[in-house]
Amino acid sequence: MDEVLEVTDFSSADTRPWLARGSEGWRGLRDSVPVMLGFVPFALVLGAQAAEKGFSVIEVPLMTGLNFGGGSEFAAVELWTSPPHILLIVAITFLVNSRHLLMGATLAPLLRHLPRRKALMALFFMCDESWAMALADAKKAGGKLSLGYFFGVAFGLYVSWVVFTTIGAFAGPLLGDITRYGFDMAFPAVFLVMLAGMWKGPNAALPWLVSLVAAGAVHIVIPGAWYVPAGALSGVLSAFLLARNQ
Amino acid sequence: MIDPLYLTAIILMATVTYLTRIGGYLFLRNRTLSPRLRTVMESAPGCVLITVIAPDFVSGRPADLLALFITLMAATRLPILPTVLVAIASAGVLRHVLGG
Repeated sequence: MDEVLEVTDFSSADTRPWLARGSEGWRGLRDSVPVMLGFVPFALVLGAQAAEKGFSVIEVPLMTGLNFGGGSEFAAVELWTSPPHILLIVAITFLVNSRHLLMGATLAPLLRHLPRRKALMALFFMCDESWAMALADAKKAGGKLSLGYFFGVAFGLYVSWVVFTTIGAFAGPLLGDITRYGFDMAFPAVFLVMLAGMWKGPNAALPWLVSLVAAGAVHIVIPGAWYVPAGALSGVLSAFLLARNQ
Repeated sequence: MIDPLYLTAIILMATVTYLTRIGGYLFLRNRTLSPRLRTVMESAPGCVLITVIAPDFVSGRPADLLALFITLMAATRLPILPTVLVAIASAGVLRHVLGG
């Protein structure tokens, strides 16, 4: 709780306790509710799948709480073996999360009024959704991020993600038995929904097709996880080559 | 309850992820990225996601491929929860009918 109380002074214009009714934190938490609900099915599937890959119910919240990046966690769990290929998992995590670099760069001007320590704390909670909400809110407020608001959003999303991935890990073994025959298809389903969310037209998706073809071909020919670097790198390389021609 | 190798992988994942979160703020804030680099960075996450599920597309099992196609149609039209239900149901039914 000390952690939470310390956040109280973060929002300079607002002297109410953080997350008190009517405060900036409260406003953020309220705005985050629809996204929190959207997290639930993703989180349950991830937790259940992680449990199936041998994660304990402590390791699941450890991963989702320390890493807090859904896309990378889905990719990691899908590629997880026992023992895990650590280098592969870390490299894939970096590739999936490399978009954070751009997001952090666009958020930087809105954090200029904050001490670096607080900005670095806030950035731990930057995910696609909190980033988009913070950006939209700061635009309305004249270009300064309200830290109280941001931590309100972040609190809601973070708690929802960690709690429901843990519940998924508990419920997974039960679910797995009931729906054994189709349950594994939930995974590509989640990935395809995430991809649909990133869709920016067929031209922008051309590198995805390259990745799919390359990864599929390598998977047929070479056993093991080589299809992952092959697919990811050929997609990124084709994006690089295609961008020159635009 | 905590496997040391799992823990190592998780901590390294978390470290790399946090570096991507602060990297843009620390190193890119006063720089303009070339549009080309920007395009590449925007397409990278999608490349990785499609790569990870690529084996499902080349499984060669008719029931799975049909279910995957149905799932793809659902994913482009429906929210996450109905899509997952469609995926599980179609895979379950098709494997039963066509054989897994």
